[in-house]
Amino acid sequence: MSEYDNISNEIRELAAKLLARGEVDVVIGYKPTALPGRTQPAFAYKPEDAREFVFNPLCVSGLPLYLTKAKPEISAKDRIAIVAKGCDVKNIVALQRENQIRREKIKVIGVVCKGVVGKYGRCDGKTEPKPEDLDEKCRYCDVNTPRDYDYLIGEKIESSPQSKEKEFEEINRIEKLSPRERWKFWEEHFKRCIKCYACSKVCPLCYCNRCIVDKTMPRWIDPSSHARGNLAWNIIRAQHLAGRCTGCGECERSCPMDIPLMLLNKKLERESEELFGYRSGYNPHDPIPLAVFREEDDDEFVR
Amino acid sequence: METKIINKQDLAKLIDGLISAGARTVAPVKVGQMHLFQEVRSPAEAVFDYFLARRSPKEFLFPQTEPIFSYTRQKDSVKIHPVDMAFPRTVVFGLRPCDAAGPGILDALFAWDYEDKFWFNRREQTAFVSMTCAQADHACFCSSVGLSPDAADTGADLHLTLLDDGQRYFVEAPTGKGKKLVSEFPSLFKPATDSDAAARGSAGEKAKGLITRKLDLSNVKQWLGSHFTDELWERLSAKCIGCGACAFECPTCHCFDFQDEATPEGGVRCKNWDSCCIDNFTLHASGHNPRNIQHKRYRQRIMHKFKYYIDKFGKTLCTGCGRCSRQCPVTLDIAEVLENIAAKAASGS
Amino acid sequence: MNSNGNQNIYQPKLIRVIDKIQETPDVFTFKWRFVDEKENEAFDFKVGQFGEFTVFGEGESTFDICNSPTQKEYNEFCCRVVGKVTKALSKVEPGETLGFRGPYGGSFPVDKYKGSNMLFISGGIALPPVRCVIDYCLAKRSDYAGLTILYGARTVDDLVYKYMLKDWGSRPDVKLVTTVDPGGETPDWKGEVGFVPAILEKMNPSRENTYVVLIGPPIMIKISMQVLGKLGFDPGRIYTSLENKMKCGVGKCGRCNVGNVYVCKDGPVFTYSEILALPQEDI
Repeated sequence: MSEYDNISNEIRELAAKLLARGEVDVVIGYKPTALPGRTQPAFAYKPEDAREFVFNPLCVSGLPLYLTKAKPEISAKDRIAIVAKGCDVKNIVALQRENQIRREKIKVIGVVCKGVVGKYGRCDGKTEPKPEDLDEKCRYCDVNTPRDYDYLIGEKIESSPQSKEKEFEEINRIEKLSPRERWKFWEEHFKRCIKCYACSKVCPLCYCNRCIVDKTMPRWIDPSSHARGNLAWNIIRAQHLAGRCTGCGECERSCPMDIPLMLLNKKLERESEELFGYRSGYNPHDPIPLAVFREEDDDEFVR
Repeated sequence: METKIINKQDLAKLIDGLISAGARTVAPVKVGQMHLFQEVRSPAEAVFDYFLARRSPKEFLFPQTEPIFSYTRQKDSVKIHPVDMAFPRTVVFGLRPCDAAGPGILDALFAWDYEDKFWFNRREQTAFVSMTCAQADHACFCSSVGLSPDAADTGADLHLTLLDDGQRYFVEAPTGKGKKLVSEFPSLFKPATDSDAAARGSAGEKAKGLITRKLDLSNVKQWLGSHFTDELWERLSAKCIGCGACAFECPTCHCFDFQDEATPEGGVRCKNWDSCCIDNFTLHASGHNPRNIQHKRYRQRIMHKFKYYIDKFGKTLCTGCGRCSRQCPVTLDIAEVLENIAAKAASGS
Repeated sequence: MNSNGNQNIYQPKLIRVIDKIQETPDVFTFKWRFVDEKENEAFDFKVGQFGEFTVFGEGESTFDICNSPTQKEYNEFCCRVVGKVTKALSKVEPGETLGFRGPYGGSFPVDKYKGSNMLFISGGIALPPVRCVIDYCLAKRSDYAGLTILYGARTVDDLVYKYMLKDWGSRPDVKLVTTVDPGGETPDWKGEVGFVPAILEKMNPSRENTYVVLIGPPIMIKISMQVLGKLGFDPGRIYTSLENKMKCGVGKCGRCNVGNVYVCKDGPVFTYSEILALPQEDI
């Protein structure tokens, strides 16, 4: 039996046990699909439902999105258990930090993860993806062993993320471009945007009941998919995640038009860390930079 | 059906000729890791050794955002400025038979008592050149909705099948528009021999063999008719996140919205793609929303495609291209949903 | 076949507001004529059809043409302020220009109703879509037998068309019953107090040779239907008008699709037996 078979079995047994004992109402996990190279989110309500659960490097979807607004069918359940990789746990911590979930109602089934397959990577789901097939975020992962969990599945491992220089190589390159070149770079990408809002719908931290793009009085963002409307949408969304995004990369993975959204998010993530020493998703008690006033904050911009 | 042969160099010349003739010439173009249908300035930009374009070609008849009129206003008067509804001649190359089938399915809707002239004026000006599939994956299920990866007659004006010499395409011209295109560039098309026709036949068989997903949809419509309420809907589609990725890539999803973009002096009204899976699609201004939860919205998607549209317009609103399954952020595989429905129908539950 | 030649079916015609009546604190009636006089002469519609009305710069909304086509001098629509377009409409004054597309949709079969008793049941802001039928029957009074109107609102303030109610109430050939929800009455209120279905049950109307036009909030319709069922009314003789969210009005945009119907084109007027054949949850 492979390592992933063992992990899958442990998840099935634990999920079935939690459901059988009535400790939770639903377990959110992954199950197979007929599409090769993929898995899909799954919800187990009865112990026997848990038999379908799997865990392997094809389990790319971030499941914490089902804990919030978007999914009343699931999130309204009183007690939820959720299978979570280290990156998913960061989202759970961020949701906890923003008072969107009550952590004590959630049982986190943390899974030690050695990386998932990238959007264009190849992986049979039985063994770890080769380094070139790994998802981008996994190369810089420092949470292979989740930082918070109620149950941990898999042997704890130390993370060995690649260097920050490597991680921010493309961002550094774009920062060095002239404003005109940068504009052209983003124009080329945003012109493909089809306003499907997959980036927002898949984001666990995009939980507003009414998104700014749906607000009509006044209309903040042109809903049409043209240069102005696409720019407004993508920039405003990135700003709404500034200092909040945990870098799970689900928006970029889900974007059917392959817009490199994580460049924006990671740039803001770095700003947040450099300016405020804040990294989202690491500690549920850290003050949120955009919700805190400190006298020593830079107020150069107030004139 | 008129048949011809065109070799790769001559296909490039055809594209070149159309560009020179001033036609908007569209073909699959490599953008990052994807292929997208884009206007090409030279045949070299076109990529025909490809699987499927990320977005369907419906946007060449029904753009994602289309201004339908503009207006200027003063306090008590408004002037409407109609938009130009004459469209340039367009030739779209490299569709797959599933893509080529889309427009013919939607004609009935856009002609139903009132004709949408944005659609039909473009339709008149647009020729589609499809190609027999060279690749397929497990999300493809065209043969289950009556199509085929080598079918020449799903809606294209010309259909090309690359013969096994890898250099020559067998050309079929199922429509008058296609024949005209051939006669416009007579020197590029060579006569097809019987052995070419045989080679085309075996290339078609090879393409058919690529389709691994076979669904039995024979009882699906009937089951849908009596199972608007069923445990299946929530079980299979509770995970749907309610984005528009499926609908916006779909060759047959046609729902749209109107949006005004205006200043006090004037503005423009746009017809924009919309999707029944997005939460505010049926949200009333009063706050009432009949489809108030995601699985009801996904149910509408399935019902509309596999029951209502058939009852209304006699056609399945799906070409089996698999884009929705492939691009779904949470792998909501439409074929899996249909397999589940078919299984329920077969078991009488 | 198509009825629009080479016209852009999504482009409105200009209309001018000639009068605005504040019916209740948040309900307004607008009287309008086409800006182009030729359009006024050519315009015709059937009882129960609707239009798509544009407030330029804000958007387009669907409202019934709530007068009878027998009234030729001007047309009317009525709306409650709930969203962006209706909020903008509340600020529109006579003389201003709006856009209109229509008339769209099916109509009440007023010819079929000839010689029958008519029972009109309506609540709140749903009187305007019923009123077009009432007005038509009154304009052709001798074609119809008894006319009974039951209309209710939450409070006296929320009753629309108070001037029409006064007129209908004073006619010997119309039986008008008005009601307000308990607690909604004023000291000088002379009508009934109670919910529409309860008053309907008390009225105990005869089903003999009677057609019903029933439009109101979903809960009122649901309970009124139970009462009408108890009284032996045939759902095939009860007509209503659905108010699904619409955009295009011409069966393209897919928004109003419920079951096998596109409400904008196959409706909005349906018999109750037709409604029962639709997936109830989606309406």
